[in-house]
Amino acid sequence: MHVHGSFQHRGPALGACSISRRDFMRGSLAVGAGVAVSRLALDTWAPVLAQAAQAELPPVTRFLTPDQVAELLKLAQSKGAPFAEIYGEYTINTNFVLDENELRQAQYGVLSGVGVRVIDGDAVGYAYADEFGMDGLREAARVAAAIARGKPGGTPRAFAATKAKAPFVLVRPAPLTASEGEKIDLCRRGNEAARTRDPRIKQVQVIMADTSKAILVANSDGVWAEDRQFISRLAVVPTAIDGSNRQGGMAMAGGAVEADYFDKVRTPEQTAHEASDTAIALLTAVDAKAGSYPVIINHGWGGVLVHECFGHSLEGDGIRKKTSIREKQLNQKVCSDIVDIYDDSTVPNARGSFKVDDEGTPSQKSHVVEKGVLKGYLWDRLNADLTGNTSTANGRRNSYRDFPIPRMTNTYIAGGTSKPAEMIASIKNGLFCKNLGGGSVNPADGMFSFVVSEAYLIEDGKITSAVKGATLTGNAADAMLRIEGLGDDLAIDTKTGTCGKDGQWKPVGVGQPTVMFSEMTVGGTRA
Amino acid sequence: MPSADTNLTLQKAAESAVGFALKAGAKEADALVESGAQFRVDVLQGEVENLKQAQTRGLGLRVFVDKRTALVYTSDFRENAIKDIATRAVELAKKAQADEAAGLPATPPAMAADAAGLKTYDPAVAALTAEQKIDWARSVEKAALAYDPRIKRTDGCSLQSGVGETWYASSAGKSLTYRNTGIGGFINPLADDGDKQQSGGYGEFQSHLEALSTPEAIGKEAGKRAIDKIGARGVPTQKVPVILHPDIAGNWIQNLFNAFSGEQAFKKVSYLTEKLGQPIASDLVTLIDDGILPGGVGTAPFDGEGGATQKNLLIDKGVMKMFAYNAYWGRRAGARSTGNATRGYQNAPGIGPRNLYIANGASTPEQILASVDRGFWMVDSGAFGYNATTGAYSYQAAGFWIEKGKVAFPVAEITVASTTLDMLKSVVMVGNDLRYNGNVNSPTLKIAEMTISGRQAAG
Repeated sequence: MHVHGSFQHRGPALGACSISRRDFMRGSLAVGAGVAVSRLALDTWAPVLAQAAQAELPPVTRFLTPDQVAELLKLAQSKGAPFAEIYGEYTINTNFVLDENELRQAQYGVLSGVGVRVIDGDAVGYAYADEFGMDGLREAARVAAAIARGKPGGTPRAFAATKAKAPFVLVRPAPLTASEGEKIDLCRRGNEAARTRDPRIKQVQVIMADTSKAILVANSDGVWAEDRQFISRLAVVPTAIDGSNRQGGMAMAGGAVEADYFDKVRTPEQTAHEASDTAIALLTAVDAKAGSYPVIINHGWGGVLVHECFGHSLEGDGIRKKTSIREKQLNQKVCSDIVDIYDDSTVPNARGSFKVDDEGTPSQKSHVVEKGVLKGYLWDRLNADLTGNTSTANGRRNSYRDFPIPRMTNTYIAGGTSKPAEMIASIKNGLFCKNLGGGSVNPADGMFSFVVSEAYLIEDGKITSAVKGATLTGNAADAMLRIEGLGDDLAIDTKTGTCGKDGQWKPVGVGQPTVMFSEMTVGGTRA
Repeated sequence: MPSADTNLTLQKAAESAVGFALKAGAKEADALVESGAQFRVDVLQGEVENLKQAQTRGLGLRVFVDKRTALVYTSDFRENAIKDIATRAVELAKKAQADEAAGLPATPPAMAADAAGLKTYDPAVAALTAEQKIDWARSVEKAALAYDPRIKRTDGCSLQSGVGETWYASSAGKSLTYRNTGIGGFINPLADDGDKQQSGGYGEFQSHLEALSTPEAIGKEAGKRAIDKIGARGVPTQKVPVILHPDIAGNWIQNLFNAFSGEQAFKKVSYLTEKLGQPIASDLVTLIDDGILPGGVGTAPFDGEGGATQKNLLIDKGVMKMFAYNAYWGRRAGARSTGNATRGYQNAPGIGPRNLYIANGASTPEQILASVDRGFWMVDSGAFGYNATTGAYSYQAAGFWIEKGKVAFPVAEITVASTTLDMLKSVVMVGNDLRYNGNVNSPTLKIAEMTISGRQAAG
C-alpha cells in the first residue's frame, strides 16, 4: 500500500493510519489547521480581518522551566535508560484558501505539546502529550521510560545552552510580520494574475499557508537548544479548460522568507503566470513518447531527482540496518566524475534550513559526494551512535508527536561548467523537463520515478512541442552514472519541497544546475 | 460539580461547545470530538526498535451565524477553554461573508440503519497487550526471514494499532457516537540478487483482529514478493495487455475517486463532469463506496457532519451513476449529501471515500493469467503517476512478463501508461479475488492494452 500525496483529506481519521514505508516526496501543500472563517468575499476582507492581532510566537520556555525539564528527564531515566530527551514545541499555522474568486477558508491553529524519548541501546521508547501540564508530561515520561531494561540510575547532566549560530536570522519573518489582510491580498493577486493570463483559465485555487515554530530540545547529556523556524508558501493552482480538454498547472513562492519577499523576490503575479502558462501549454501538448532517450532536467526544483535518486539511500537508518543500496559504497564511485552533492541545512531562506535540528545538533553543510565518489552519509543521533559515527544534523521530526529519524535538509548537485543552451543544442531527439511533480524511490532496490509536470520535445537541438503525461524512471544505482553534463546555473529551490517518510512530513530544499542524462526511461502512451 | 479547570468527558465537551456557541449568538453549531489511544512498535532482528504510545484527543467546533461560518479547534478540554473558543468562533463568524449554501445538513443527525451491525469496534484489538503486539511483529519478521535463505534481512516489522472514540454533537438534534479499532502491520524484507537486492513490502490493516492474516502468512507473503523479483529485467517499449494486481488496481481507484467528488464536478474541473448517466467503463466494472460495510476499515455509522452513512453505487455495470457530496457541495449543486463528509477535528468537512471497491467479477486470477498470450502483470509501482486533472496514468512499474498464459520472468525498470477513461473502457476481465485490506480495494483487473516503456529498443 502506498501513501498518496494529495490535497484532499482522505478516509477516516483512525483507519487511514498509513503503514507504508516507501519514501516519497510531494510538491503539494502542508495541511493547515485551526480557527477558520469560510467564504469571505475579496472586496470585504479588509474590515473583516483588520482587527486580527499581530501574532506572537512564544518560546517553549514560557510553558516549561529548566527545573521542570530536568524533573521529566530524571523520570524518563528512572527505569535505567542511559539517554532521555525532551522536545517541546509551539507551532502556529495559518492557512488561507482562495477558491472560485472567494476566500473559501481562513484558518489559524496552534499545535503545541511535548515529546519524551528514551533510548536504551538500540531501543527507543516514545510518548507525548498535547499539552504542557506537568501531570500529562510526567505520565508521558513514565510511559517512555518503560522501554529501558537497565538498572535504575542515570542522572541527567546540567544543561548547557547551545552555542549554535543560526545560518540566517529573519528580521521580519513573513508568517509573523505580514498581517492576515496582507496574506489574503497575496492570494487575491495570485488569483487575478492567473485568471487574466488567458481566458481559458477557468478555475483558480490559491493557498497561502505558513508556519511559525518554536522548539526546545533538552537531553540527559546536557544539551539545551532552542530554535525558531518560519516557513511561508504561496501556491497557485489554475485549471485551463478548453471544451472537454482540461489541464492543470501549479507554481509556488516562499520559503523561510522575510515579509517583503513577495514584493521583492518572487511576486504572486510571477508565480501565477508560471502556473497558468503551464496549464495553457499542456492544452496543446503531445502525448509523451515511450522509450529510453536523452533527457535534460531544468535547474532548481529538478533537484527533486537527487533527493530521491540519491539522498534517501544515504539516510543513516538504511545504512545501519544495511537495507540501503549505498550501504557498501562508501569511497566508491557512485556518480559520474563531474558530480558533487551536498546536504546543507544552512542554505539561506530554504525550507530545509534551521539553527539546530530536532535533536539539538547545530546545522551544517555535508559534502556527501565528491567528484563522483561517495564520501558520507546523513546521520541522526541514534543511528550515528550505533555505528560509531557523529550526527550530521539530519535528525528531524514532523512534530512533538513523532520521534526523530534521519532526514535530508536541503540537498543539491553543485553547479557545473556547461552552458544549458549548448547542452540542449547537442541533442538530436530528447526531452527537456521544465518542471517535475512528485517523485518516489525505494531505497532498498533503487527504483525511482518522477512525474514530469511540464516538458518539451528537443528536436534537432531545439525545444519544440509541449509534452504531457511523461514519467521518468530508472534505477538509482546506474542513473547517476549517466549524468553527462551539468550547467553553470545552479539553483536551489527553497520554496516547494515537502518530503514524506514513515508517515512524517518535513519541509526540504532541493537543487541542481541544468542536468543532462545520456539516457533515461520515459513513460508515456505513444509507443 | 466539577471545577472550571477539570477536563470534561468527551460527550460533555462536544455538547458544551455547541451550547456555548448558541449562547454566544450562533444560530447553528456542530462539534466533532475525536479521541484515541495510539500504539506503534517496530521490531528489528527480534528486538524492539521503537515503541510509541499516546492518548490523543481534539475538539472541532463549527458555528453558523446567519449563514456565516467559522471553525475552531482545541485539545484543551477544560470547560473554560471550550467556552473561550466557542465565543471566539462566534465573533469570527460574524465577520465572515454570508453564504447561502452554508449550514448544517438538511436532515437532523442520524446513525446509519443497523448501526449496531457495522462492527467498527473489536474488543479483541482493544484488549491486546503491548507484549502480544510485540510478539506479533516478531512473528511477522521471523516468517519473512524464514521464507527463503536469500532473505538475509528486513528493515523491521512495524505494527500500529488504535482504539478510538468519536462524538458528534449538533444544535439540530441528538448527539451521536461510535467507537472504532484498527490494527495492522507492514514489513519490507530484502532478498539478495547478485550485486543487487530486491524488496518485497507487504502489509495489512483491518478493524478486526480476526480479519488480519496470521503474522506467519503476512511475513511469508512479503518474503515471496521479494524472492519473486529476483532476476527482474526490463522489456522493450510496446503496447500489450496488462493485468493489474489488486494492490495496483486499488491505488488507481483511490485516485479515481477524486473525479467523483461533487466539489470537483460543480467546479467543472473533474474529467467526469459531463459524464453523469453515461457509460464510462466496460460493463464488467461496478464501483462502490460503502460507508456501512460491516467491519470495513472506512466504516462508520455517521459521517463528519452527522449524516447517516450509506452504500453508494458510483459506477453500475459501466454506467456512471452519481457524484459524492457533503452537505455544502450538495447544496451548491442541488443534490443531497451522500454521507461522504470527511472531517478531522482540525478541519472543515471535505469529501472522501469510506470503503471504496470494485465489485468482484467472474474470473479467477488464474483464468485471467491464462488468457494473456503476451503481456505484463503489474504488481508494484512508484508512488506518483496519476494526473488528477486529466486522469492520465503513467507509473514506474514492476511485475512479471507473461508468455502464453504463464509467468515468463520478473520485470522491473519500466513504466506503464494510459489514461483513466481509456483504462475504464478497456477492462476486459474482472477477478473474483476482492479482499478488504485497508479501505480501498479491488479484485485483479485485466486491461486490454497499455503502453510499456522500457530501456531496450523494441523488436
